[in-house]
Amino acid sequence: MGFLNWIRDFIVVFNYFCMAFTLLLNVIYIIQLFVSLFRVHHNYNKTFSDDFHSYVDSDNLLPISLIIPAYNEQENIVQNVRSLMKINYPMYEVIVVNDGSTDKTGELVVNAFHMHKIETSIRYQIPTEDIEGVYFSKEYPNLLYVQKKNGGKSDALNAGINISRYPLFTCLDADSRIEKDALLRLSMEFIKDSRTVVAGGLVRIANGSKIVDGELKGFTMPQKLIERFQIVEYYRSFLMGRVFWSSTNSLLIVSGAFGLFRKQTVIDIGGYKRNTIGEDMEIVVRIHRYMRKNHKKYRVKFDEFSICWTQGPMSLKDIRSQRRRWQIGLMDTLLSHAGMTLNPRYGFVGLLSVPYNWIFELFGALVETIGYFLIPFTLLMGELNMFFFVIYFLLAVSLGVILSEGSLVIEQYTHRAAMTAKQSIAISVYAVLENFGYRQIITIFRMEGILKYRKLRKSWGKIKRKEFEQ
Amino acid sequence: MKMELISVIALLLCLLAIGIEYILHYRLAELQDEHTTRVENIRQRLSIHVEGVLYAPTESSRDAEIDALAEEIGEDFEVYEMAMQAIREHKGSAIDADEQALENLVERINERIKPAETIYAPMLSSGDIYHQGYACRRMAELEATEYTDEIRELADSKSRDLAYNAAMALCHMGETDDVARYLMSIENDRLYSARIINEFFAQFTGSRQELAEKLFEECNPYMRCTIIKTLAGYKIEAFRPMYIEGAGGDDGQLKIACVKALAAFGRPEDEQLLQMAANDKNWVIRAAAIRGLSLLKTTTALNAVKNALSDKEWWVRQTAAQSFAHMDISPGDLEEILGGYDRFAADAMKAVLYKSYV
Repeated sequence: MGFLNWIRDFIVVFNYFCMAFTLLLNVIYIIQLFVSLFRVHHNYNKTFSDDFHSYVDSDNLLPISLIIPAYNEQENIVQNVRSLMKINYPMYEVIVVNDGSTDKTGELVVNAFHMHKIETSIRYQIPTEDIEGVYFSKEYPNLLYVQKKNGGKSDALNAGINISRYPLFTCLDADSRIEKDALLRLSMEFIKDSRTVVAGGLVRIANGSKIVDGELKGFTMPQKLIERFQIVEYYRSFLMGRVFWSSTNSLLIVSGAFGLFRKQTVIDIGGYKRNTIGEDMEIVVRIHRYMRKNHKKYRVKFDEFSICWTQGPMSLKDIRSQRRRWQIGLMDTLLSHAGMTLNPRYGFVGLLSVPYNWIFELFGALVETIGYFLIPFTLLMGELNMFFFVIYFLLAVSLGVILSEGSLVIEQYTHRAAMTAKQSIAISVYAVLENFGYRQIITIFRMEGILKYRKLRKSWGKIKRKEFEQ
Repeated sequence: MKMELISVIALLLCLLAIGIEYILHYRLAELQDEHTTRVENIRQRLSIHVEGVLYAPTESSRDAEIDALAEEIGEDFEVYEMAMQAIREHKGSAIDADEQALENLVERINERIKPAETIYAPMLSSGDIYHQGYACRRMAELEATEYTDEIRELADSKSRDLAYNAAMALCHMGETDDVARYLMSIENDRLYSARIINEFFAQFTGSRQELAEKLFEECNPYMRCTIIKTLAGYKIEAFRPMYIEGAGGDDGQLKIACVKALAAFGRPEDEQLLQMAANDKNWVIRAAAIRGLSLLKTTTALNAVKNALSDKEWWVRQTAAQSFAHMDISPGDLEEILGGYDRFAADAMKAVLYKSYV
């Protein structure tokens, strides 16, 4: 009897913990929302007098190497490279690194751009798997194709860094598109503040959007619910979270789809970590660690006006795989840099950003999942007041809606939305609906990621995506 | 009971916040729709006016069309800029095929509209700092020198953005004293001043030599080096003695700047100095000197560049290989490098040759 009582007490206490945890998390999110609102308002006003186009012929503009790691990307690769050839930037090179694809990725690139194998000197500043060949085309002198042995995405990126010529580099996913002026805008972060070592752009869901040559030409509501939810989710994540963390110089993640890096800094820290699937987060955390440890002045920036479009997963199976991978990446990074947690040596990053990620982003999924099962169970046991349960549930949903709707307001405020007023309001309905099923499913996928950490932590991960609408 | 009451109040507050957000969202979305429609309508009307102006059969009818265009623009800067863009980007008329005729037409329209006076001057005096900054730059483009005093005042603003935009406008107007004063005001902010110096010298419409001399009188050594590096590409003859002195001196940073500046001239009389710099212990100086020597194309310069192909520093080897490919090299030299024992030199050379001739 005593044991059963103990169990019952534990469950009740855990319920209150879950509730307090959820409310605290939402309060933190609301603080983030307000800070982001002010930041975006300030940055938006600033863009008015920011004549970034005048920098096109400025000596201050740093040339950029665009590295595209590709593994079995035959559907999108040629189209993506072609779109990159049209971006508005005076000096850049595109480096496609084929990480031992087993499909026709290499053949397609070589044929489409009339490339020839050349002998070239490679400065191996970061160790990588063997590079089997470098291809060049006189017709496209700013394009290089690198064929290498399979070594994973990080290894492909490191090979791209070794072969690149320019002081800044960006890694782009083969299935993403950047807006025409996105690189120019993002590189301004390095011009305006020479301490900048990393700058991330805003990633948007392309499902439903028509993007031609890096320009958004229209929007139709995507067919699947899952795609509509992701549109809301991405706005929330980027316009709220990233703007907030970058304002405190403690942003821990720059999306793998679009981030600009100072090459020398990445070389100094030894390049991308191999055998991890969260390389985009890991490298940023390692940069923070290295710079703070060596007392170097630096900035990790986020620019909400530099936009990259990516195709979001269209099936539950794919979104499951994606979210599991993200969670594993988060866990791997936090474990690798556990020493930074609550360590004053790492300033705001160690004291706030890393603990926040541990508590709310990693264990948050665990607490939330347990809560989903335990709270109804406690209710059935009669240990929880029904009125209190309903109020708590409505509060949690309302707070969630405030956050999602808040990010949609920010998006609308910046006048960047390609949607009509009707579409914009229609999308906001999904800010409410996502709380009834979608959010819970995503949490369970994240939880699954934690549980399968050991098994899945070294895979590339492949998601089926449709081609960009032309 | 108390806890429950608090929870209900919290929930009501949340619902209120959601309601406010939705209203705000809806209003913003509506505003965007209105803006899109308005812009589209203006664009259509402008296209009629622009065609009227460009295709007017007589000068008097053109004047009438310009009057109609001016009425459409009113005092709205967005409409004015859209109209100017439409005129400049128009294709097909006799005027837009002739650059001078197009410039004359733009000038004629500006004389009628007086954008500096009617559009940007009010923005300059009563806008927020971002509008003021924007107005400064547009004033400079319109060469509205009558507003120099107002712009000068704004260049002293505490807002860095506004001060920068105002100083940039003065830069476009070629105001040596004001630009020098602004640059001196940021001299101790090293992170900022280096890029600003570069930008300002590129955009300056007055005498760069005069501006540099003014700055050299007062600036600190760091700023001096930055200016010399910036000026390298402009090849200002009067500064050559200073470059020669700096290139032979002991100050490392000054030496880098001066060797870069001398290298840009590519003069035979500097060969000895560049040869010495090509053996410097600092690789940045070596690379800069190699670039200068490659412009000389003498046998001794060619040998120095050839030796640099096996430099221990990768960047120097690459610079040498790129420079070497553009010099008068004999097939014998090429064979010697490509087939030689020096793998670094061969690799660097091969990479450049493949990209040049494949």
